[in-house]
Amino acid sequence: PASSPPPPPALPAAPTTPEAGTAPQGLRGWLRSAYRFATDRNDFRRNLLVNLGLFAAGVWVARNLTDIDLMAPQPVP
Amino acid sequence: MGNVLGPGAPWAPRRGEPLGSPGSFDELHRQCKEVFPQQMEGVKLIVTKTLSSHFQVTHTVHMSTLGPSSYHFNATFVGDRQLGPTEAFPMLVGDMDNSGSLNAQVLHLVAERIRTKAVFQTHQAKFVTWQFDSEYRGDDCTATVTLGNPDLLGESVILVAHFLQSVTSRLVLGGEMVYHRRPGEEGAILTLAGKYTALKWVATLNVGYGGAHASYYHRANEQVQVGVELEANTRLQDTTFAFGYQLNLPQANMVFRGLLDSNWSVGGVLEKKLPPLPVTLALGAFLNHWKNRFHCGFSVIVG
Repeated sequence: PASSPPPPPALPAAPTTPEAGTAPQGLRGWLRSAYRFATDRNDFRRNLLVNLGLFAAGVWVARNLTDIDLMAPQPVP
Repeated sequence: MGNVLGPGAPWAPRRGEPLGSPGSFDELHRQCKEVFPQQMEGVKLIVTKTLSSHFQVTHTVHMSTLGPSSYHFNATFVGDRQLGPTEAFPMLVGDMDNSGSLNAQVLHLVAERIRTKAVFQTHQAKFVTWQFDSEYRGDDCTATVTLGNPDLLGESVILVAHFLQSVTSRLVLGGEMVYHRRPGEEGAILTLAGKYTALKWVATLNVGYGGAHASYYHRANEQVQVGVELEANTRLQDTTFAFGYQLNLPQANMVFRGLLDSNWSVGGVLEKKLPPLPVTLALGAFLNHWKNRFHCGFSVIVG
């Protein structure tokens, strides 16, 4: 009886780059969770961070932009 | 030569400046809060009449657009012992409205450094609040103990203790402890406080288990003052930010206060004196963009 032909040699596996494949997934996932955190109005920590930033901005405005003379004469055109 | 004031005087060691009294714990954020406008709605008429150097009465009629209108009668008596332009002892203040609810306060100077206060509030015929506190004001420290709604039969009480110490002529540190007790329940909360006073600005911070409260007050010049506030409440899981400013124009007999906060609210109150009449006109408007709510009001203050 004829012997069965030998199985074809296994083709080499397609080249994979595990680091490049998972890094975009990890970065994308991080960006997605960061976006969700930044837009979740019910998150206490997010609201605290936003209001802390606003407080710092308010202090900067108070120290730098409020030294105005309301009774100064109008500039002559 | 030594310290000419004696060994007991509270002098800052490096600068040689005297440590001032830190004041009351409740007034830590006062300068910042005074910049913000008060909410106004409806029409209010306030008539104040000074009957003598000790006695003054005030009638307040409020036609409200959000709730029932009201009338308040306020009587204030001050004694002879005057410690400052706004401090005179003893002081008795009573305020009663048209529904019979009373708000009364008695302030008395027991000793040179010890002041006591009693506060009573009723809702029609029922007592809602009865509170007693005593405060010791030293040369560089303040200590206060407050008993809120003590009930021996019901075994419930709220005890609040404050302490403030002037560490330097500009820095005040202190704390607050609130202890509450009811049948089957008791607890305590500790809050630390700090206040730094510079020439043109004041920064205050309260931090505790229940949250934090930070405020910054800046006096830009004689006309412009700015206040910035941040409050975080861990129990309610809520934070708010507010920015307020005050514009003083004594030449125009005018004061304007504006407000912007993180609840999407914008508001302002304009106060204008009308000399030579002893009359002040106040116009206010507040708009909440998020809830789409707007209310405005004006008030006339006579006297």
